[in-house]
Amino acid sequence: MITKKKVMKKFVKAIWVFNWFNSCGFSELIPVVGSRWDMERFGLVAVNSPRKADALFIAGYQTPKSMKRAQQIYEQMPSPKFVFAMGSCTMTGGMYWDSYNTVKRIEDYVPVFMYIPGCPPRPEAIFDAVHKVVVHVDELPDE
Amino acid sequence: MSEKSKHDKNQTIEEKLIEDLKSKLGTTVNYQKERRLWMTIDPDLIVETCTKAYELGFEHLSTISVTDWLKEGKHEVTYHLWSYTHNHLLTIKTKIDRKSPKISSINSIWGGNAETCERECHELFGVKFEGNPNLTPLFLEDWDGPPPFLKDFNWREFVKKEMYDQNNPREKVYFEVKK
Repeated sequence: MITKKKVMKKFVKAIWVFNWFNSCGFSELIPVVGSRWDMERFGLVAVNSPRKADALFIAGYQTPKSMKRAQQIYEQMPSPKFVFAMGSCTMTGGMYWDSYNTVKRIEDYVPVFMYIPGCPPRPEAIFDAVHKVVVHVDELPDE
Repeated sequence: MSEKSKHDKNQTIEEKLIEDLKSKLGTTVNYQKERRLWMTIDPDLIVETCTKAYELGFEHLSTISVTDWLKEGKHEVTYHLWSYTHNHLLTIKTKIDRKSPKISSINSIWGGNAETCERECHELFGVKFEGNPNLTPLFLEDWDGPPPFLKDFNWREFVKKEMYDQNNPREKVYFEVKK
C-alpha cells in the first residue's frame, strides 16, 4: 500500500532543489551551495530543471509578475513537491511591506510547506528546516 | 602635447560642436559641464529634433526619463543621446501637459530600444507615446491602480487599503506604524 510515509521517505532521501531566487535572495543563499556549508552533504542538490526537482526554494521579494513564473515552475514539478519560503521578504514583503508591487501573502499564490524566517536565513536555518522534514517523516505513522 | 594645450584643443572642438548643433537644430544648446550638453525644445518638435541629432552623430539612445512637476502641472520628458563620434551626451528636455500627457513616439528612429523605454515611462507615469504599437506593461502585470510614480499618488495609503486586512492579526501591525 502506498502510504504518505512511503512517499515522503522517497522525498527526504535526497532533496533535489529548484531555486526561484529574486534580488538579494540569490546572492545571500549562494554560501549554502559553496564548500563551507556545502548542502550536497545532506543530499540537497540544485538542479537545472523543475522536472527533476522535489522542492522549490523561493527567496527574495516576489512581485505578482515573478509569482506567475513561480506558479508555472511549481506546476511543472512532479509530485511529491514542496515549497520552502525563505526570508521575511518572501513571506510577508519584509522591508518592502508598503511597496505597491510586492507579494504580501505568498500562500495566496503557492502552497507553502515550510517558512524559514530571517533576513536572509542563515545556512544553518535551511539545514535545520530540512532536518525537521526528515524528523517529521520518521514520526509519521505507516498506515 | 602638454595638458593645457590638450585641454584647449578639446574646448575648441566642443565649441565647434555646440555651434554646429545650434545652426542645424535651430535651438540653443547649453553647455552644462564637460561633454554634457542640454537643450530644451517644444514637444511637437521631438521627432524632428531627434532625427537631426541622429544624423549629426548622436546615434545611441541611452534612456528616456520622466519627471513629474506637480506644482507646475507639467511632465518633463528627457531624452539622453550619446554620440560615439563626438563622445558627448546630448540631453533633450521637453515639457508636456500633466492632465493629458501625450507626445510622439520616436520608435521610427530607434525602433525596439525606444519602444521599451517608452513602455516603462508609460506604465510608471501614464505618458502616452503616440505611434508606439506596444505600450503593454513592462513590470506591473495585472496592475489596475493609477501610475505609481506620480507625485500625487499616495502609495502607502493605497497599499494599506488594497492589500492589507486590518482584522487579520498578522497584518494588524502595519496599521499601527507611525507616519
